[in-house]
Amino acid sequence: MTDIAVNTKRAKKAQAGPYGKVGQALNGLDDRLGVAKGGRTFMDKIFPDHWSFMLGEIALYSFVVLLVTGIFLTLYYVPSSSIVTYHGPYLPLDGQKFSEAYASSINLSFSVRAGLLMRQMHHWACDIFVGSIVVHMCRVFFTGAFRKPRELNWSIGLTLLTLAIVNGFIGYSLPDDLVSGTGIRIAYSIILSIPVVGTHLAFWLFGGNFPGTVILGRFYAIHILILPLVILGLVGAHLGLLVRQKHTQFPGEGRTEKNVVGSPMFPIFMAKTTGFLFLVGGAIALLGAFAQINPIWQFGPYDNIAKISYAVQPDWYMGFLDGALRIFPAWSFHSFGYTIPIEVLFPAVILPGIVFTLGYLWPNLEARITKDDEIHNLLDRPRDRPHRTAAGAGILSLLFMLFIASSTDVIANYMHISLNEVLIAMRVLVLVSPFIGYAVAYYICKELQGVEKAGKRKTHNIVTRTATGEYVTVAAPMNVNDMHAELHAVPVPNYIEDDAVAASASSTAGVRTVDR
Amino acid sequence: MTHSLTLKKPVAVALSAMVLFGALSLFAGAAGASPKQAPYQTGRYNAGTPNSSVVVEKDGTVVKYGNGSIVYILPSAALVDLGHALYSANCAACHGVDANGVPPHSAQTSYANVHAGAYPNLQGVGPAAVDFWIESGRMPAAAGTDVQAVRRPQRLTHKQALAIAAFIDTLTTNPGLPYVPSVNLKSASLATGADLFALNCAACHTITGGGDALAFGTYAPSLRHVPANQVVEAIRTGPGNMPRFSGNLSDAQVRDIVAYVTEYIQHPTNPGGLGLGGLGPVAEGFIGLALGVGLLCLAAFWVGERQ
Repeated sequence: MTDIAVNTKRAKKAQAGPYGKVGQALNGLDDRLGVAKGGRTFMDKIFPDHWSFMLGEIALYSFVVLLVTGIFLTLYYVPSSSIVTYHGPYLPLDGQKFSEAYASSINLSFSVRAGLLMRQMHHWACDIFVGSIVVHMCRVFFTGAFRKPRELNWSIGLTLLTLAIVNGFIGYSLPDDLVSGTGIRIAYSIILSIPVVGTHLAFWLFGGNFPGTVILGRFYAIHILILPLVILGLVGAHLGLLVRQKHTQFPGEGRTEKNVVGSPMFPIFMAKTTGFLFLVGGAIALLGAFAQINPIWQFGPYDNIAKISYAVQPDWYMGFLDGALRIFPAWSFHSFGYTIPIEVLFPAVILPGIVFTLGYLWPNLEARITKDDEIHNLLDRPRDRPHRTAAGAGILSLLFMLFIASSTDVIANYMHISLNEVLIAMRVLVLVSPFIGYAVAYYICKELQGVEKAGKRKTHNIVTRTATGEYVTVAAPMNVNDMHAELHAVPVPNYIEDDAVAASASSTAGVRTVDR
Repeated sequence: MTHSLTLKKPVAVALSAMVLFGALSLFAGAAGASPKQAPYQTGRYNAGTPNSSVVVEKDGTVVKYGNGSIVYILPSAALVDLGHALYSANCAACHGVDANGVPPHSAQTSYANVHAGAYPNLQGVGPAAVDFWIESGRMPAAAGTDVQAVRRPQRLTHKQALAIAAFIDTLTTNPGLPYVPSVNLKSASLATGADLFALNCAACHTITGGGDALAFGTYAPSLRHVPANQVVEAIRTGPGNMPRFSGNLSDAQVRDIVAYVTEYIQHPTNPGGLGLGGLGPVAEGFIGLALGVGLLCLAAFWVGERQ
């Protein structure tokens, strides 16, 4: 009799308890691993909802795409300089002899199903990865999110940017095509330019003189194993610190230095962020499918160091270094039988060294200048810290101008200006731009400070003519989206057993608040 | 064993040199002792490629030489009168009635006049050079003071260009070389062409053939719309700043380069999607930042709160 009753759907549901099969499975997991307490804390983790806090997620998810597509690429890429004869569908390369690395990259593009899509997605994901790190860093910098207690996380982020750039460059070098070979040649020269240790470093890294036969294998190990592991570890530390220290938030009603107002991890934030993962992955897949990137078959192999293509640029994130190298005057220093090539050393080693050191030191420098030793969980509006905003704008202007200087030839060609004049103009612009950037940003901040509700849309005026011919002007009500509607936060329950609070909290889909 | 191997190579080289020399002296004999004798046999203008198809007229004038890859043809002498009239109307104003050029005016000291050989002497430049400048629309020039003549729609027809070339040839005792080439792409090797293009051409024209700016307002023009024969003419005559590739590329190699340029540079396959103008990382960076990062920032703006 009971068997029949249990066989109905309703009876099965009743037997499974109020949380169903999933609840049963979770109970089982809790019985064995004790996940309930930690899991509850995790799922109740509060994340502030401002859109600008999601910029770092673009970087995180493009890194996920990089890992997935990268694993695919490692299945087909061969990091070998040994010479093979290529035979394949691309006629201009058919029968040519070149390195196995290049041959395998061509094969993976033309003869492996979805290989080209994966390669292009990997490359686009890299461009977007570094780009979103930069955008995310700008958000952190201009809102003062790097201040105490988050100086360490700022340094980790800056290290991640550096490693992303380095690994991007190394990945760009792996196919051993003409353009990447030129890039390695420049990197070799940059290492050589370092006084005293340069020659030794270069010989150690390349296993002898350029190009040698070992560099591709070493780059491969660095690119697919060492740096991804370091980046993965640092991303873990970055997110771990974020969870430990809790996210910053913009000031507003109900938001204090001592609480966090936002959505809980489950279900709201998790749904949002998973959706965002698919948006990022989808955007990269679309770019990979429809926009050609790094067509190495057109570039041909780097089988002869006499080969060179004019107008070769690196990927965008190396642009500022390339630009600096392009426009720096040909100065070098000879004495005691040694040559110090300032023309390479300064733009490619000293300048990025200064910029990145300044980046690492900035949180401490600012704290020292402002004599501010407080803990800050509320963010600044950029306009309220005009000097910091202006300094950031100045550095960005400098880097942007150096970036533009990386395409002097394209500017000259498309605008029909003499390349020499473009060169001189870029030198002047690079020197002047930080000061202009600083001044403009500073005055914009000052002006914005003086304007109430800057950035909000103006309300229109309604003019009506009465029956007697009188005109009456009435201001229209504010646009609904511009009205600052404060959401009333529901406190997060402190105990798992507190079912009443938990039920009320989960039934309200609004924001929640938790003490830090 | 190794000893005999080391001996073999020089012997082979000597043998082939003898064969080559013999063939060349044969052609020299065929040309006879006419005043119109051309030095084409020395191979100065096609890297010593043996000329298998040589046509010599009764007066000893070589009217055609070349081989299976490229045939160089002297414009017909019947066009000289037409050429004279066309020259007087279109060219003489700058290059002079005798085509011996005009030295730069002392008052005009622009870069073009001083360095680029304004109004150069055309005597002995050869029919290929005349044909190239006229058929690429660069001559008659738009502005005599330009640093570099720009490719424009053709002003004179192919026949008119040949006529002017025929007329200029009459101004010197020996006809200039090379003659107007006609390339046969039938058995071209694209792989050799791609390899030689990267080695010889990409350094200025870029590896995608888009061309780019060089120093002092000069530039390497785009190769995207250049007809096959003009590519040969440019390689063999070296117009403007371009070096003349006559000593290091055989006719077969030039043919291979032309095949690569006209088939792959001008019609890239772009299997990866939109070609982005062949501009490389400049365009890619722009798309990646503006479209990729930009749109994803907007997506974040859409998903997140704005308060």
